Amino acid sequence: MLKVDNITKYYGDFCAVDHLSFNVEPGEIFGLLGVNGAGKTTTFRMIIGLLEPTSGNITLNDKKIDYDVTDEIGFLTEERSLLTKMTVKEQCHYYGVLKGMTESDVDKRLDELLKKFGIESYKDKKIKELSKGNQQKIQFITAILNQPKLLICDEPFSGLDPFNVELFKNEIKEMAQKGSMIIFSTHRMEHVELFCKKLVVLKDGKAVLSGNLADIKKQYRKKNILIRGNIDIDKIKSLEGVLEVNPKGLEYEVKIADENVADKVFNEISQAKNVTKFVVEEPSLNEIFIDKVGETYEN
Amino acid sequence: MKTKLKYLIGVSLNRKIKTKWFAIANILLLILIVGLINIDSIIKLFGGDFDKKQVIYVDDNIGAYEVLKTQNETYSALIKTNDDDADTFEIKKTTQKAEDLLKEKDNKDAWVLVLDRDEQNVLKATIISDGYINSTDYAAVQTIINNTKSTIALAESNINPDDLAKISSPVSIERQVLDKDKKSEDESMQMIMSTVFPIFILPFFALTIFLVQMIGAEVNDEKTTRGMEIIISNVSPKTHLTAKVVAANLFVLIQGGLLILFAALGILVRFMLGGDSDIAVGNMDIGNMLSELLASDIGAQLGYIIPLALIMMVLTFIAYAILAGVLASMTTNIEDFQQLQTPIMIISLLGYYLAIMAGVFDGSLFIKVLAFVPFISAILSPCLLVLGQMSIVEFIIAIILVIVVIFLLVKYGFKIYKEGILNYSSKGLWKKMFKALKSK
Repeated sequence: MLKVDNITKYYGDFCAVDHLSFNVEPGEIFGLLGVNGAGKTTTFRMIIGLLEPTSGNITLNDKKIDYDVTDEIGFLTEERSLLTKMTVKEQCHYYGVLKGMTESDVDKRLDELLKKFGIESYKDKKIKELSKGNQQKIQFITAILNQPKLLICDEPFSGLDPFNVELFKNEIKEMAQKGSMIIFSTHRMEHVELFCKKLVVLKDGKAVLSGNLADIKKQYRKKNILIRGNIDIDKIKSLEGVLEVNPKGLEYEVKIADENVADKVFNEISQAKNVTKFVVEEPSLNEIFIDKVGETYEN
Repeated sequence: MKTKLKYLIGVSLNRKIKTKWFAIANILLLILIVGLINIDSIIKLFGGDFDKKQVIYVDDNIGAYEVLKTQNETYSALIKTNDDDADTFEIKKTTQKAEDLLKEKDNKDAWVLVLDRDEQNVLKATIISDGYINSTDYAAVQTIINNTKSTIALAESNINPDDLAKISSPVSIERQVLDKDKKSEDESMQMIMSTVFPIFILPFFALTIFLVQMIGAEVNDEKTTRGMEIIISNVSPKTHLTAKVVAANLFVLIQGGLLILFAALGILVRFMLGGDSDIAVGNMDIGNMLSELLASDIGAQLGYIIPLALIMMVLTFIAYAILAGVLASMTTNIEDFQQLQTPIMIISLLGYYLAIMAGVFDGSLFIKVLAFVPFISAILSPCLLVLGQMSIVEFIIAIILVIVVIFLLVKYGFKIYKEGILNYSSKGLWKKMFKALKSK
């Protein structure tokens, strides 16, 4: 288990991470979210041992982070971390051996992964000759070469087409099924909702939201109602507890302050004709994120 | 961690050596070095009349021809330093008019020397040539004419032939050197070494540039691609920089070895060519120089000068490598590093210039003090040691000072490196680095 216990990190007088705690269990995909500058990179750097927390502890399977432990961690950085003058094979040897593997182990694993991602022919190509998407595949391969117990994925789907996003998703899910712990950070909230059971949202280094995604959504009072039919929008807007009504294709999305308001809305529209749909939905993670952080993720 | 260190050294070294550019650069270096060492043969290959001795036709109106010829032989014997037994000028008698003589195809480059007496009955000379005369030849012919004039004047002073012979013969100078460790025979060798040694250490300057650029480019490459974060999460910054320093030093030692090999091949080619034809030019015949060097006391001294100089150079390479790594870690792109490396180049260049000047400013306190300054000392101190301006003890002190600098670079530079490699902003850079120095 990865245990991040009350860590704080100061750069001079600036507090980058403020008393952050969370756990990631084996087989779990954990979301670490926040806008740029929220403290995600600093947290990742502390987990992989690049930075020492000013206070607090980080342990992986009860061991403090050191160079033996980091051999069991894979890190897919948001920026390209490949040495573009190297060939794919040289690059994988380089990072693989630094993770404690032998070159022959790297070769075996590399052949397997290149085949899985459909890029066997690129083994001896220089990285700079590859497309952005293929470079991202190689970067992902270098992160999972050592079959890490903990994999940190910072924007893993960057530069990938939908087909390859699926490939990555399947690989990440497979790793989780095999017991790896995965920390996932992305701007794409639908991916977090799809993958992560637990998450932390950071703002200015502090956790503003944390826990199980289902619980977070449940506890979040605001809900959305989807209605299809001819309804009097003004009447619905005038109801107490209705925050806003927005057309959404052939339907209307009614945002309400809490679940109890749904009854009032239902009573109102039940008098209307041709209503074919009335669904009370949990808000999306993106809505919760904007509400908590005060700005969109995509900045 | 030891395995990772060895692996990092191997990767770093292979990235430099197992490239087609390393092979191409060394093929070019081989051609250039062998060519430079045999440049005289190459020049001769394309033809020219530079082998011909300067011909002087003497239009003698006063009967001084024989004296002039003798003085030419005496002068040639005086300046001669190699086995070449030829005279400085080829002197021939003529009665033809200069204008007619110089019009002839074979005499286009010849001179005509008209010997006459002025109104005071003193030797007067006129030199006629088709083109310009170089200053060295002019000075030589002037000396020969002056000596001719003195000899004729003495002969005409009714001095008996024995006394005249005594007066005309060159003075025999006995040379005494009070310092028991120095021999007068080595004086000319000292002069040669002061000229030649800076040429031998020129590759050190070039290798320093290779070294600094190699480390700078690698650290920058890994840092700007963020590969550094992956690497440093698996090996400590200390191991990472140590690997770079060791690899860069191995690289310059390999490259230095190759340069020596190329030079040896060049000399071998020169000796082979020398078997067929006389290729010695003036006083700079390498074969003669080497044999004179080995026979002299300096030859014996090279037995300890070369190992000491090598120790000094390797230590300085290490210091340069750590410094280059630390500076590269502070920069965020290769352009910034190239600007930062300029002072390093200038320091090395300063050492090289001072080494050249050391022979001219013999005993300069300023140059001697700078010979102890690490980075400059690598080039300057071996030169002073060869010239006898620095003792072995002083040289060892200079080595110790480089070791002290390495210690300080390891102690403080590694701290800056650790902070610098993960810093991607130039904002408040120096503040961050000073803070890093204070960290444990």
